[in-house]
Amino acid sequence: MSSIDLTLKIWRQKNNDSLGDFETYILRDISTDMSFLEMIDVLNEQLTREGKDPVAFDHDCREGICGMCGAVVDGVAHGPDRETTLCQLHMRKFKSGDTIVIEPFRSIAFPIKKDLMVDRSALDRIIQAGGYVSVNTGGTVDGNSIPIGTETAELAMDAAACIGCGACVASCPNSAAMLFTGAKISQLSLLPQGLPERKERARSMVAQMDKEGFGYCSNEKECEAVCPKGISIRNIARMNREFLRSLLLGE
Amino acid sequence: MWFVSFIKTSIGKKLVMAASGFLLLSFLAIHAFGNAAIYMGSKYFQIYADFLHGFPVLVLIFGVGLLVIFIAHVGVGLLLFFEKRKTASRYEVQTRVVENTFASRTMPYTGAWIFIFLIIHVFAFNIGKPEGVQISMLVQQYFSGFFYSLFYIISFIALAIHLNHGFWSMLQTFGLNHPRYNTLISALTIAVPVIFLVIFGGIPIYFMTGGAAGY
Repeated sequence: MSSIDLTLKIWRQKNNDSLGDFETYILRDISTDMSFLEMIDVLNEQLTREGKDPVAFDHDCREGICGMCGAVVDGVAHGPDRETTLCQLHMRKFKSGDTIVIEPFRSIAFPIKKDLMVDRSALDRIIQAGGYVSVNTGGTVDGNSIPIGTETAELAMDAAACIGCGACVASCPNSAAMLFTGAKISQLSLLPQGLPERKERARSMVAQMDKEGFGYCSNEKECEAVCPKGISIRNIARMNREFLRSLLLGE
Repeated sequence: MWFVSFIKTSIGKKLVMAASGFLLLSFLAIHAFGNAAIYMGSKYFQIYADFLHGFPVLVLIFGVGLLVIFIAHVGVGLLLFFEKRKTASRYEVQTRVVENTFASRTMPYTGAWIFIFLIIHVFAFNIGKPEGVQISMLVQQYFSGFFYSLFYIISFIALAIHLNHGFWSMLQTFGLNHPRYNTLISALTIAVPVIFLVIFGGIPIYFMTGGAAGY
């Protein structure tokens, strides 16, 4: 086990209404086996001992499946490792003496709560607009009563792997939520259960996405590259098809 | 009206961009096909031009239609350009994981160049065409000027760069992205601009190099 010394430049901001700025911290003897969040934990313990305000950041499961954590590390959402959430990024990816710049996920639709914490409920409201199937009555149907091909199931699962962390929005030059919305539309439109509400879903979800202030897509593929779940922009293409379809055939 | 609410959506704007791009591309294909008659000599090119302008009503309808499509393409393009500037550079440190291609970075600029080119081009060969001069002779006259030809060649290069990103982007917006066809699509994003560059760019080179001696 080896350890490294680091300089951190972290964005500190009291709330969305106040002005923020960078603070510089020095950390010594950080184990390279630590995760990125554990490294911030060490910093926060140090700050608490000094009687200072610890750095606020979002986290929950710390095993890369909940979508709660996330920050922009040296200009890349979730840091330098591919298909990895911030909590699964390890300090062995850094060298002793490195200066790491940590910023919150920025978007007009993501107001800053405090420091690195941002309010991503805009993504929840996109789901509420149509990212569901309505099953209002009846008993549970037997799992095998609706035949679904393996490939279709796999494609739907690939889209459903989206954990809604918002890294696509944070990294998009236009701050668009198209990869997120594309994945959420795809996971349902690929499956028979999603088809009855297909005509309206894409239209209302896209309308909500625009209302929240997310940008448009200029096909730069940065979202796909930073996505911790490797969601493909094929899902954006599918969303475009679904949108066109719901526009032409919707009620 | 459904069309207005459609235009207001983010994907709607993208679809207007892609659809107008597709129509402009179709026009370019016909234009390139017709102009290729230049390589056969002035006689054939004049026959083609006379044939085309034998349908003045059709030419007028197509001309007005093209103008509308072009305005839509430029209008939405400008809108997207200014919207992008609002969100750009929001981080202290900005690192790209996938370096966007030169073509995609320069879309508004190659577009602006093509816009300027089109004004000059339409004025030279259509609106400001001198009376009584045959179009086949006018072409030769213009392209015998070195700087005029050079301007055209640079413009065709800008067009090819614009099409390189535009073609792929258009298909993605229409929802055409599938592993089975993506190899073909990525080959076409190079082939389509190159074909236009060769046919259009060849014309000034044809006159500059003296290849048109028997024109």
